[in-house]
Amino acid sequence: MHPTYRESIQELIDGTIGAIRRAELERHLEDCAECRSFLADMEKLHDLSQTLDPIQPPDGVWLQIAGRLRQEGRVQAPPTPVPSRAPHYAMLAIAASLVLAVGIAIGLLVTQYRSPSAPAPAATTVSTPAAPGNTAEPVDVASVEAEFRLAEQHYQNAIAKLEQAARLDQAASGGSDNALDRDTAAMLQKNLQVIDQAIAESRAALKSEPLSASARDSLFDALKRKVALLQDTIALMNEMRKGNSAGAAQIVDGLNKS
Amino acid sequence: MATSKVTEHPSARAANPARTEEMALVERCRRGDLAAFEELYKAHAGKLFSVACRMLGNPADAEDLLQEIFLSAHRKLEGFRGDSALGTWLYRLATNHCLDYLRSRAARTSQVTDALDDERGNFEPERAGLAERSITKMDLERALAQLPDGCRAAFVLHDVEGLEHREVAEALGIAEGTSKSQVHKARLRLRSLLSGGS
Repeated sequence: MHPTYRESIQELIDGTIGAIRRAELERHLEDCAECRSFLADMEKLHDLSQTLDPIQPPDGVWLQIAGRLRQEGRVQAPPTPVPSRAPHYAMLAIAASLVLAVGIAIGLLVTQYRSPSAPAPAATTVSTPAAPGNTAEPVDVASVEAEFRLAEQHYQNAIAKLEQAARLDQAASGGSDNALDRDTAAMLQKNLQVIDQAIAESRAALKSEPLSASARDSLFDALKRKVALLQDTIALMNEMRKGNSAGAAQIVDGLNKS
Repeated sequence: MATSKVTEHPSARAANPARTEEMALVERCRRGDLAAFEELYKAHAGKLFSVACRMLGNPADAEDLLQEIFLSAHRKLEGFRGDSALGTWLYRLATNHCLDYLRSRAARTSQVTDALDDERGNFEPERAGLAERSITKMDLERALAQLPDGCRAAFVLHDVEGLEHREVAEALGIAEGTSKSQVHKARLRLRSLLSGGS
């Protein structure tokens, strides 16, 4: 073991070693296989570190940032080419904020219900034996229903605003290509119907078995899918507004696959 | 060997037409143009997310922090004068956010950032050295995530990002000698981890 030379080897890798110590190290390396091996390891590690690839953030991060900026009033709507379209942008911003709020609300609910470490509420709690695939957690039924209704209310508000935005967009464009085209609108509508059906079925299952973890999971998964669809719809409208047909096509392609 | 990514000669600013474009983009962002800020985000998010991921050792934390970094950047753009490149300015902002986060995490967990043991024997691999082994980038990423916060941050800035020890010391608020010591310890620990040691 040669601690002094190992320090010199690290400095050699750093490019900070002086000429005298470097010469001394080189003489030592000629005779010491152990230190040569150490130098080879350090060089390999250093070279590999410099080739690490960039890590791209998930797509949703930008939507979250844009939503926060809108909510805080720190960005303004882009210039409107046609004055009558102005309400559409305002509605779009509101809808985006609402969808973000719903996403957070549902995210919190999912975390609360699914987290095994969530503290048990002090109010009416019911503990049931675990069904296969389910967890037996004490659940405050009244609290669950209240939180659920609250999320549902936000959710319905967001949907109403989105629908209003879409109607304004349609009216402002007079049915031109600036609005969502009919095929895309029909596809969005169809996807919404499928998800709504899943929500209705999950809700029915939850009604018959209020403490079923799988029914809760199904419902929240369906809600999450609907929020994701609404977010995609907003992103699609934004891309079309910016005239970015490639970006819009990419989103539509994703919707077709979902 | 390491090259500086922070230091820049002042004359580069006037001679660089890209800087004029940057300032125009910044000006649009200041006026509240969301599309301009999205352009800025797309140009720099990958780089900043990579640094955050590796300094924090946790992609989920890095994702949250990236949002804070860009929201903070949007607020602070008003004070950006173009004395350094926009990327450099954002990079400093990001590393400061990462450091604040690490300090806060250390305070929460009573963790000492300089906790890596000085006993060299702890990091000696029992088997063959790295030179004889096939090591992938993924292996290195995993090993990196296992390092203590302090020496991981120094290693990422020096060996991965290419900052000099003087710049690492400035960024982390430590002495230059401490930066060297932390990077060297990180390399020893990585060597041990990648050689099959603990």
